[in-house]
Amino acid sequence: MQSHIEIDAVEDEPTGLARFYATARRFMRNRSFAIGAVLFGSVVLVTFLGPLLTDVSPNALSMRNRFQPPSFDNLLGTDNLGRDMFARVIYGAQLSLMIGTSVVILNAIFGVMLGALAGFYARLDNILMRIADALMAFPAVLLAIGIAAALGPSSMTAIIALSVVYVPRTARVVRSSVLVVKELDFVMAARASGATDFRIIMKHVLPNSMAPMIVQLSFVFAYSVLSEAVLSFMGLGAPPTVPSWGILISEGRAYMREAAWLTVVPGVAIAITALGLNLLGDGLRDVLDPRMKVEEG
Amino acid sequence: MIGYTVSRLLQAIPILFLVSLFAFGMIYLIPGDAATVIGGPEASAADLEEIRQNMGLNEPFYLQITSFYTNLFQGDLGKSLMLGTPVLDAIIDRTPITLGISIYSLSITIIFGLVTGIIAALNHNKLLDQIATLFALIGISLPNFWLALILIVLFSVHLGWFPTGGYVAFSESPIGWLKTTTMPAVALALLQAGLLTRITRSTMLEVLSQDYIRTARAKGLSEWVVVGQHALANVMMPVVTVLGLILSVLLSGSIVIEVIYNIPGLGSLMGNAILSRDFPLVQGGLISIAASLLFLNIVVDVLYFWLDPRIRIKSRD
Amino acid sequence: MKQPNARLILRSSIAAGLIFAAGSASAEGQFECPVVGGELIVAVESGIPTLDQQTTSAGATRNVAMNIFEALITRDADMNPVPDLATSFDVSDDGLRYTFHLREGVTFHNGKPMTSADVAASFDRYREIGGNRSNLDAVEKWEMPDDNTFVLVLKHPQATFIENLSTYTVPIVIMPSEEAAKGVGEIDIIGTGPFKYVEFVPDSHVLLERFDDYVPTAVMETNSGFGGYKQACVDSVRFRMITETGARMAALETGEVHIATAVPAISKKRLAALDGVELASRLQGLSMGYPNFSNAPTDNLKVRQAMAAAINAEEIADAASDGEFQLQGAFQYPSQAYYSEAGLDMYNQNNPEKARALLKEAGYNNEPVILLATQQFQWSYNAALVMSEQLKAAGFNVELSVLDWPTALATSRDADGAWNFFFTVWTSTVQQGGPIALRGFADPNNVFTPPNNKGPAEMNEIFDRVENSATLEERVAAFGEGQKYALENVLGIPFGVLKSTEGLRSEVKGFKSFTNVQVSNIWIEQ
Repeated sequence: MQSHIEIDAVEDEPTGLARFYATARRFMRNRSFAIGAVLFGSVVLVTFLGPLLTDVSPNALSMRNRFQPPSFDNLLGTDNLGRDMFARVIYGAQLSLMIGTSVVILNAIFGVMLGALAGFYARLDNILMRIADALMAFPAVLLAIGIAAALGPSSMTAIIALSVVYVPRTARVVRSSVLVVKELDFVMAARASGATDFRIIMKHVLPNSMAPMIVQLSFVFAYSVLSEAVLSFMGLGAPPTVPSWGILISEGRAYMREAAWLTVVPGVAIAITALGLNLLGDGLRDVLDPRMKVEEG
Repeated sequence: MIGYTVSRLLQAIPILFLVSLFAFGMIYLIPGDAATVIGGPEASAADLEEIRQNMGLNEPFYLQITSFYTNLFQGDLGKSLMLGTPVLDAIIDRTPITLGISIYSLSITIIFGLVTGIIAALNHNKLLDQIATLFALIGISLPNFWLALILIVLFSVHLGWFPTGGYVAFSESPIGWLKTTTMPAVALALLQAGLLTRITRSTMLEVLSQDYIRTARAKGLSEWVVVGQHALANVMMPVVTVLGLILSVLLSGSIVIEVIYNIPGLGSLMGNAILSRDFPLVQGGLISIAASLLFLNIVVDVLYFWLDPRIRIKSRD
Repeated sequence: MKQPNARLILRSSIAAGLIFAAGSASAEGQFECPVVGGELIVAVESGIPTLDQQTTSAGATRNVAMNIFEALITRDADMNPVPDLATSFDVSDDGLRYTFHLREGVTFHNGKPMTSADVAASFDRYREIGGNRSNLDAVEKWEMPDDNTFVLVLKHPQATFIENLSTYTVPIVIMPSEEAAKGVGEIDIIGTGPFKYVEFVPDSHVLLERFDDYVPTAVMETNSGFGGYKQACVDSVRFRMITETGARMAALETGEVHIATAVPAISKKRLAALDGVELASRLQGLSMGYPNFSNAPTDNLKVRQAMAAAINAEEIADAASDGEFQLQGAFQYPSQAYYSEAGLDMYNQNNPEKARALLKEAGYNNEPVILLATQQFQWSYNAALVMSEQLKAAGFNVELSVLDWPTALATSRDADGAWNFFFTVWTSTVQQGGPIALRGFADPNNVFTPPNNKGPAEMNEIFDRVENSATLEERVAAFGEGQKYALENVLGIPFGVLKSTEGLRSEVKGFKSFTNVQVSNIWIEQ
């Protein structure tokens, strides 16, 4: 790990655009990254463009149209209350991705902040890492279910529960790379020249700890989408008024044999998203640093 | 060695305290109580009050937390409201079942993860690498309860290979055990094989680039010998280190898998305890599961420390 | 036996006849198992919390425990009280002394003969920790003149006493006196029923075995509901808790289980077409909901009446049951003694214009109406979704609050909680008939959480007459008044009766669909 970061740190900065193209080429040559980017990219695209493709409300009931298999009128069929599954899957994507994105943002903010603090200040390290250890001692899903039960089911609950589960893991990743970076010569030099801690963290430490963090966040995204489904299965996820994919599968699973489309479509949607993100993360890691370890679970 | 072990154990004490605090606090915040669950929608307010009195749910906060810690220090995790048995007994009863399935699942995971990981590494960036990785990743990208239900339809209803659920103890009938645990073990293995594939692949890549492997290859040793004798030994090491992590993932997965496959293990115990607001069971379960995982991690670290002296230097950070 | 008093409690003359036939056991025509042997496997849809039958109202417990335990008086298939461990009873002229003659030769599963001392100890336990101990409020004391006689002495006459005593919500089951001395959930499971307890593995299964020394009651020719002439035809019964619907149906399909409860409506057609699978349907319970009297805007009568006017109950019941329902607005089934059609013009109005007019009259200012439901049960969540659409169409500002079941239930118990309308299903409440069906609309059990838990005085006065009028005619009339008051003042809004379906393998014979699974008199053809 160390060698790689050193190279990155002392690299001369070429012009912005040229560097961007060079990096992009490097990424796209990696097949995992490319496939992952295409898969996840298309999910994001469908999520945002999807609502333009249908003018049906995802919650419009039509009791006479229950359990219609896929047809021209209802591309993905209808559910037990006659709601259009195409609209529900599209709008469900928004909620699932919103939850994933929010967890990632919270991880980026708190995971990085806490990880950087713990890595940089030895005194805080002990306290923060013991708290992280305690939180990580619980199996992830069990902790998420407990927190979700405590806060009552809502999208916000799912976001908070999943953040509490994954922030310590992200913080650990950031911390270990900060520990390496802070001992590097140029950081020592900056410190010797009297730069403030804040400036050193922002200017030198964080930018050089980016790589493992980005990789970690891509996995956190994938886990969040999956864990949200599990919370929904337990009846502790987002309220089903605007459905998430997890809720769609959870609601449809009693009809699995007679109306398979109710579970297959959202199931495949989750799988594609998580697969895309996992591939993306693997690709990122391969390109950025093939030997990097990431905290999972 | 002994010093390291002792210091790791001492470090675990504050963590365990925090774990217990989280467990208590989380449970205290959960709305609804066991009485509402037991009473059901048709119980009158008076009925509920009676049930609460029976269960001692009416005590104020300070009494609850003091008695919680008093009992905890005496090693008493309390009594389950629903089962009527001591929490510790319930957990001890259930552990072998989940552990058995976990070990079965772990074996599948290790075989699957090592094979795909090594194939991927040996064919680094070739098509086979991509296929192996993709195959492994699909497992961790599926919602587990969905996968579990699909396996039932496929292997029980259509093919008739396994029963749809239930559990037969190994001591009762080894074949029955295999029949009832194979589907859950596979479903759980698929959830984490990808994790191990990744680790194996990256470790293997690292090992393969080492000088002694190059030397071995240069000496004209067959690829089989190089991989089998030299590389594989080095790959097992990181597998041991993620054991705790994998068990944690297994326990997470078992909550859903055990409910679907009707298996009376730790997972269904904890899942149902939360849903039925059996607070002593949830608290006790959380604390003992977390403590066991912590302890397991310490054992792994100590073993690792003992096996690989290089860690001593690393462990200082 | 003082006939007039005994007759008071019974509607069906057939059931009454059975009581009077008691004591003169006739060996003729009584049920005999055509095939004996085998293990019956029943897949139940919910986890069994405990087998301590005196302490829980969970239907999942009754499914199993009511095959192990018996009560003095229980309910038959039509929900009429029938003697079970008592073969008959007399009531004194002043209505204060109920003398129960116990079934003779009965032993517990541990081999100990049952005497009135065990009955008394079981009543002692129930009065202390029983789930419905208020049912014994009218009882002053009990006496044991001899081993086979048990006497309950009342503080004041209570016309509906036998109805209360025979309640099956939390039945007063009889256990050996040693067990009756133990606390909640601490007893060994020992009863007098046709099956004895072998093992209970929570989250997995309960195993029962035939009790060879069972002495059936002679009051009927075969079993009916919880009572009657019970015989264990199978060697053992395994109740498996398979909560996941898909897995339970798969187990029925592959023949791993003989009986599976709660077959989803959509699966019926497919399962019925399969060789070797048969279905049995029954009425399950009344899907309904009630408003919160303590929160605006449902504290306003006109707003509540607007809600009732806006509702298309048929559509809601349809959604709540996937189409397996029966329209019914009454709080009793037509077959029951207390059935009344009073006030039913308020049911299933489907009249958004009237609702708008009422809202205007109420001065409704777009305050949010919070519908509280849980997604764990389809009858709750689906009903809330459809009702929300209907209310919106009538000009209401609706919010849906969908919580997990324990949270939703706890919220609905709280007058200050964030809710205006809560969805439920009344199963035993409606089935048991009489005062129990209206209990939730009167003090102190008001489900609609009025301020300070003081419901409308008029309703309380009516309820008192439902419970305490001397004759059945008077009580039935009062029940009609109560139903009318509840519907017109919108203490609750009924949607319809949901049906429930059990699936069974065709080699299983003698199964009778009942509110709880009864495994007596069922045999497996080879």
